[in-house]
Amino acid sequence: MSSVRLDGITKRYGHTLAVEDISLNIAEREFVTLLGPSGCGKTTLLRIIAGLIEPTAGRIYFDQQDVTYLSPRARNIGFVFQQPALFPHLSVADNVGFGLSVKGVRKDVIAKRVEDMLALVGLSGYGKRMPAQLSGGQQQRVALARVLATDPRVLLFDEPLSALDRNLRETLKYSILDLQRKTGKTAIYVTHDQTEAFAISDRIVVMNAGRIEQIGTQMDIYLHPATPFVAEFIGANNSLSGVVTSVQEGEVTVDADGLRIHCRPHSAFREGDAVLGYIRPENIALLNDKDDHDVHHIGYINVFDGVLDRVIFEGATAQVRVNVNGRELRVDVSGAQRLTLSRRGGRVRIGFNDVTLIPKPA
Amino acid sequence: MNRLLSTRRLTDIASHAYIWLLLLLFVMPFAALVNYSLTGPRGEFALQNFAYVFGSFTENLGWSFRISLLTLLINLAISLPAAYGLVRYNYPGKHLLFAFLSLPLYVPAAVLGIALVLTFNFTYRLTTSEWGLVLAMVVGSFPLMLTPTVVALKDLPIVFEEAAQCLGASKWQTYWRVVFPLIGPGIGAGMLLCFIIVFNEYLVTLFVKPTFITTAPVRVFNLVRTAGLLPTTAALAVVMQVISFLAVLLFFRIYGTRYLKGTYLL
Ligand SMILES: Nc1ncnc2c1ncn2[C@@H]1O[C@H](COP(=O)(O)OP(=O)(O)O)[C@@H](O)[C@H]1O
Ligand SMILES: [Mg+2]
Repeated sequence: MSSVRLDGITKRYGHTLAVEDISLNIAEREFVTLLGPSGCGKTTLLRIIAGLIEPTAGRIYFDQQDVTYLSPRARNIGFVFQQPALFPHLSVADNVGFGLSVKGVRKDVIAKRVEDMLALVGLSGYGKRMPAQLSGGQQQRVALARVLATDPRVLLFDEPLSALDRNLRETLKYSILDLQRKTGKTAIYVTHDQTEAFAISDRIVVMNAGRIEQIGTQMDIYLHPATPFVAEFIGANNSLSGVVTSVQEGEVTVDADGLRIHCRPHSAFREGDAVLGYIRPENIALLNDKDDHDVHHIGYINVFDGVLDRVIFEGATAQVRVNVNGRELRVDVSGAQRLTLSRRGGRVRIGFNDVTLIPKPA
Repeated sequence: MNRLLSTRRLTDIASHAYIWLLLLLFVMPFAALVNYSLTGPRGEFALQNFAYVFGSFTENLGWSFRISLLTLLINLAISLPAAYGLVRYNYPGKHLLFAFLSLPLYVPAAVLGIALVLTFNFTYRLTTSEWGLVLAMVVGSFPLMLTPTVVALKDLPIVFEEAAQCLGASKWQTYWRVVFPLIGPGIGAGMLLCFIIVFNEYLVTLFVKPTFITTAPVRVFNLVRTAGLLPTTAALAVVMQVISFLAVLLFFRIYGTRYLKGTYLL
């Protein structure tokens, strides 16, 4: 139960920068997820926190203690790997007791602790089995019990569920969260799966190419993406590139290759700014033909006519592709409307209000 | 259907025949040796030849065991750290070093013997001691131990060592509690190979042994050279064969059941 502070962590492999100047504060008992595509440096950063890799530059603090050059052993962390990595020649009980055994703890104390830990992960009575006699999910739970047994200061997870099948992932991610809440440990969790990250995190750190793109809650990064990368990586998004043509009373008008789009951004823009505009598919409405042309009447500040290209029925929602002036927009339709779509086709009208504007990177 | 069955049957018979032929080829010389060792002076069946094995040959067998076991211990002490250094650390010239360490495998025993005599005489004056002989055996056989250990270690995912480290194990505890048990089959295979080779080695022994040591294979060699092939000598040869065979059985008994079945591969 320590806070973790990273200060300018950089890791260089020859000419590649695996991790570049990362600073991050994680509070005691917080569950923070590092989320990003494969190869963005998540594992490298996590292993640096564990002490398995030494950073090229930067410092790591647990509470006030500088642990940058301490071995993993001296840091007292719990690391859960992608594979359970249970010692195959030791029984489940000996695996769970390993951390205490190497510290020379008395046998009866270990036995008691092992029992408690196995009960905690719901595997009471499995102590005598060998790892090979357990399913993948059970093995990963033993791995959890094994790290919890040593009462670590920080729990580190490197995609611990990615080797398991989908149903198991669903249940185990909540088990992990429950255990973290019960034990009150600080947790840092690495994944490339955003539904996983959204389900269990207090805060999410979105990473790309070795750098942090944005730190925030689920709502922060979904509703207010700070960078084009976050806007495109998190959830589905329609993106438009344009130039600000006018700014009036908080309403910004953007010209995106002939489409005039009105937005009410949170930050300030000036005429002539190059911007990227993002519109979530679920925020675009398919309007009925007989809806009034007067935009203020129907409550949408942006209304366009288009042609319905394609309807994909996905169950809870239907994904619709609408062609507006040669530009394809994705519209997600839910509720009763999704059931009548396939019979329509042809010309449609769409309306939307929420547009996220991000200054176009140079 | 019928035709398919009959072709299958034919291949079945052919493969069985092949296995029996192989067995015959390999077992026949040994069977002949056993038969000869059980022949008395007048050609009758007799067990008396084996009395020699437990009489005048015990000293030779004793030397062979002693030399083999000492060699094994030294090999173990050298190979484990060497294999670990070769597999887990990166440095320039690593592959060259490994090739160099394996050199004794490709050098004919006679060449090795001469080389050792020269080295021992001019450098260490070891030719007159038991340790000289053991050292010679180590030089000739330790690649047999090193290679399977290196292979086993390469196959062992590093995640087990990292897991142990993160759980608070020291380097030493990681080796003893995790690494060595998990590469047990590799170490065992190396020990088996070493034992069989060293136990049966006579050419290098002839070069470097002190006069007071006569190992079993050297005794067999001397006897055959001076007195021709006697049934008593055959008896000693049979016992040596059986010992080697038992070593193989022991290996499979220990590692075949516990490790090789449920390997550590994830
Ligand atoms: N030992 C290494 N040697 C060289 N490059 C490495 C090494 N480890 C990681 N990298 C590089 O660093 C980058 C980040 O890798 P990693 O942290 O594994 O990403 P992630 O876990 O997000 O998929 C990748 O480009 C990878 O190729
Ligand atoms: Mg990774």
